[in-house]
Amino acid sequence: MKQARRLIKAPVVILMTLSSTACVTSTVQDARTGVTGINEGESVVIMAKSYHLGNETELKYIRCIENNLARGKNALRVIPHDEFVDSLFPWFEPRTAPAETKNLAKLMERPGVADRIESQGIRYIIWLDGDTERVAGGGSLSCAAGPGGGGCFGFAWWQKDADYDASVWDLQGLESAGTVSADVSGTSFMPALVVPLPFIARTQAKACKTLADQLHAFIVQDEEV
Amino acid sequence: MNRTAILGIVLAGLLSGCGSSVTLQTATIPEPLLEQIPISVGLRMSNNFEHFVHEEKVFGREEWSIDLGRSNAALFEQLFGHMFARVKVLGPNDDPQLFPLDALIEASIDAFEFSTPDQSNTEAFAVWIRYRLKVYDREGTLVSNWPVSAYGKSQTTTMGGSDALQRAAILAMRDAAALMIMKFDNVTRISSLAEHPVMETTPVAEPEVDESADADADTDVQATAHEGSQDEAG
Repeated sequence: MKQARRLIKAPVVILMTLSSTACVTSTVQDARTGVTGINEGESVVIMAKSYHLGNETELKYIRCIENNLARGKNALRVIPHDEFVDSLFPWFEPRTAPAETKNLAKLMERPGVADRIESQGIRYIIWLDGDTERVAGGGSLSCAAGPGGGGCFGFAWWQKDADYDASVWDLQGLESAGTVSADVSGTSFMPALVVPLPFIARTQAKACKTLADQLHAFIVQDEEV
Repeated sequence: MNRTAILGIVLAGLLSGCGSSVTLQTATIPEPLLEQIPISVGLRMSNNFEHFVHEEKVFGREEWSIDLGRSNAALFEQLFGHMFARVKVLGPNDDPQLFPLDALIEASIDAFEFSTPDQSNTEAFAVWIRYRLKVYDREGTLVSNWPVSAYGKSQTTTMGGSDALQRAAILAMRDAAALMIMKFDNVTRISSLAEHPVMETTPVAEPEVDESADADADTDVQATAHEGSQDEAG
């Protein structure tokens, strides 16, 4: 009986492992324009560029970057962006948020803004721009069911591109510290011979992990400059 | 119930199509960081501010009912409470000239629109709201007629379209609030209507009705007399 269970488990584990992997390629790069570094008590906030400017960055991607930066051995102190936006209402709403660092000085002169930023210890604002899109797909897969059972037959594939840029603004000098970008492309496919076998490329998750790791290094490791 | 009846009910359900209903909890805005305008204003809101329902059948698709409840009223009460030194919310039959006000603001909703992901071919719901603000001076003369167009957008989540649409509506209201905070005085010049700028931030007290107020009662609807006669944007 145990042997039979093992015989069933083995292919299931193999299938699950295969299903979680598919073809993903990624490119990450940064362009530094200033010296970075972060002290104890200082924090970062992750924002999405305004949808008034046509940006489509997903809320779950912002949360993913926040979570990745805030965990691990050298975790950064991350202020949740909703909390930040509310605390500075209305100056970081999609309509009012500064689009360039040159607008920061004027923003800081507004009543209460500098105090709120200082009280939260915010050193960097990281502006995300970009999204994940399905760019191609093809194949054919059909399923049918009848009194005697059912099944699928065919082959389908699709490609998603996740392109994100992060602009890092240093609030200490009210200037840009540079940009980090991650371009990830993933192709998923699903062959089906009675049972469909999904090989899903986790494109957005990869783009999140890649960008978060690079952002962490960008902010913390100023000795590379 | 026999099989035919059950099948009939199922078929009727399928043929009638789907309907979606969204009810918004009364929205709140955070305390804004702003310089208060030192005047006392009266705020009169159109009837649908207390209970705004938008119903629309998306052509060939779902029928939507969006109930904003009294979110619009709450938004304006909160916002103007922060923006102006004193605010008196007036009922439809209140006479603004019986109160010590520097200006009267009449707020109404010109239009409410939304789009679904199917319509926009994106994964987001979007909401547009156009408010209209009419500002009257102490004598009841219309000094500004300002259409405030606001926009909110929210992507669908695993929680479904209802949550995303609610969030888009809230974002549109916050957008309107942000626009009003930024531009109100520039557009309407309401601060210039102050006779004696108000320094303290206590709420407007109920007026003491005296004989002179009664004597002026026949002129108390001046403020609304201009409504509809001047449509120019502020």
